[in-house]
Amino acid sequence: MIPILAQVEYGPMAVRPGSTEMIIGMIVTFLIGIGIFIGLTKAPTRLRRPVVNGVTFLCGLFYILYWIWPKPVNAKPDDIPKGAVEGVGFWIKDTLPLFADIANIMTAFLLGLGIYSLGRIHLGRIAKRQADRQFSVVLVISMLSIIVIGYWDYIQRQQDTQSKLLDMQNWGPAQLAQNLLFDGFLQQMDSAMFSLIAFFILSAAYRAFRIRSVESTVMMASALLLMVSLLGLVVTYWNGGVAHLAQNMGVPKADASIGYSSYLHSLQISDMADWVKKNLQTPALRAVDFGIGLGALAMGLRLWLGLEKGGVTV
Amino acid sequence: MKPESTSFVDILQNIDRRILYVVLALMTSIPLFFKVAIPVIPDDYSKSLYSALQNIPEDKTVFIQSDWTLSTRGENAGHLEAALRILMARKIKFAIFSVGDAQAPGVFRDVVRRINLERKNANLTEYKPWENYVDLGYFPNAEGTLQAIGGDVRKVFDKKRIRDTEGAERGVFESPVLAKINDIGNVGLYLVITASNTIDRAVERISAKTSLACMCTGVIGPSTLPWFQSGQLKGVAIGLKGVYDIEFLMKNGLNLDTPTSVRWPEKPDAKAEVVSEGTTLDRGAKYYLSFHFAIFLLIGAVITGNVCMFISRKSKGGNS
Repeated sequence: MIPILAQVEYGPMAVRPGSTEMIIGMIVTFLIGIGIFIGLTKAPTRLRRPVVNGVTFLCGLFYILYWIWPKPVNAKPDDIPKGAVEGVGFWIKDTLPLFADIANIMTAFLLGLGIYSLGRIHLGRIAKRQADRQFSVVLVISMLSIIVIGYWDYIQRQQDTQSKLLDMQNWGPAQLAQNLLFDGFLQQMDSAMFSLIAFFILSAAYRAFRIRSVESTVMMASALLLMVSLLGLVVTYWNGGVAHLAQNMGVPKADASIGYSSYLHSLQISDMADWVKKNLQTPALRAVDFGIGLGALAMGLRLWLGLEKGGVTV
Repeated sequence: MKPESTSFVDILQNIDRRILYVVLALMTSIPLFFKVAIPVIPDDYSKSLYSALQNIPEDKTVFIQSDWTLSTRGENAGHLEAALRILMARKIKFAIFSVGDAQAPGVFRDVVRRINLERKNANLTEYKPWENYVDLGYFPNAEGTLQAIGGDVRKVFDKKRIRDTEGAERGVFESPVLAKINDIGNVGLYLVITASNTIDRAVERISAKTSLACMCTGVIGPSTLPWFQSGQLKGVAIGLKGVYDIEFLMKNGLNLDTPTSVRWPEKPDAKAEVVSEGTTLDRGAKYYLSFHFAIFLLIGAVITGNVCMFISRKSKGGNS
């Protein structure tokens, strides 16, 4: 089989990372990509649909083949396939990481799309002097600062051949500024936003979590049991109390190895919580996962075969 | 005229939410100043994880997929710190990367630096990049990357170049950390530390090919239990309880012949030593007391709310 894509040793897919050829290749590919993107945007729906459906089908077909086609087991890099079936198997195996690279690059483009979208909306708002534009100014300044300082720090770290910058004592203004923006502001604000949920949960628990039906009573009982089971202090003393009571009453110790457990020992909080998790929670989650899996399979088939029409025409 | 108890109930029912917020803030922040060794009965999945971590052969490399940021620091920071302390105490090499969040590498680099500094201050050997660990960075597409890692791990990372101890740029597979990795099955353990469903992708794509374990937030935790029950995960540490379980096991060991050792009667062969050097009880111990207060407050709020509702309905002549 002729080596293609990931199998070629020399060519556009096998250039050395960081080399001039790679940078030129990246620029050319980027320009071609932009050209295709603009071309597809301007093309009529009749033309765009078969292109998008065709690419989707080919990409899906690759992963279907990866799933069903016999693959080489424990193949070494210099192994040579025998026959067409093995050849295709080798090709699929070799090309899979290339597909992952393409998927990673395409996902990374979403970041660029996000920056473009943010810039368009907020710079437009500032330029048109719309209401609340001061927030847009803050957003644009924050974004630019973190990009500029992030790259400043990145470039210095790339040039740090002795890994001196791993030690905070060797940090310069770039590292300190990056640390202030990333760890000091961004990450702390991220934490603060997330921790606000605790306040809403408490308020909701106090005002809305009410026993109004049998179902809500069962839910509350199991929720309280599982919450208490997280408290080491309560569980340790409660379980100890139950064991002590059993000892006083002459009830023998529970023995999991012979499947023996007295009713009294089953009153230990950890045992009750385990029972709920193993016999109620996990089976319910399996059922939900199974349903989601079937739905995803049906949706995947519709997308793969081009039966979903909405996305292409919009 | 309403009885006095009813008016008190009315006051309780219409309590200003800001009072609740202040009570919560005080009850969760004051205990943070105390690091207390609270007794705990570790969950079976935590014991299994600790046993898996302590029984990794010393010549094997561990892959850590760190998919969290500081929004879940309360849980995931403790997970990563505990895992790193165990690996560093056992001199096990590791490769760390993320497929979950673009901010995650910045966060895990901080944790590695912090644990290294802690070891330096305790006169313990520091972990060095290239020699003892490699940082593989961020891969934005979890599905594709994990699929490819399961297919051919060398081809996924072979374009990655990092500096060796002399400062020269070389491929990551030339480093002592990854030199023996030809297949994902060669790693000692593939540990996913996550705040999202990237653990599902890892189970789907690589659990059949390597030993997989997980440390995750309380929100994600329940969805990992089917994987643990089926044996696709070697162990799980869930939420803050999971952090403290692991720290408690690090301090006391599992199924050892010592009075403080944690017992696991169902699996007497799952022995795991205590962590011989460095810190054991840390973030989990600091936060667990605060967590107790938060849960007490939550349970109290639910009970009080319902009791007030019942009394209020009864006093108004309604059905309870």
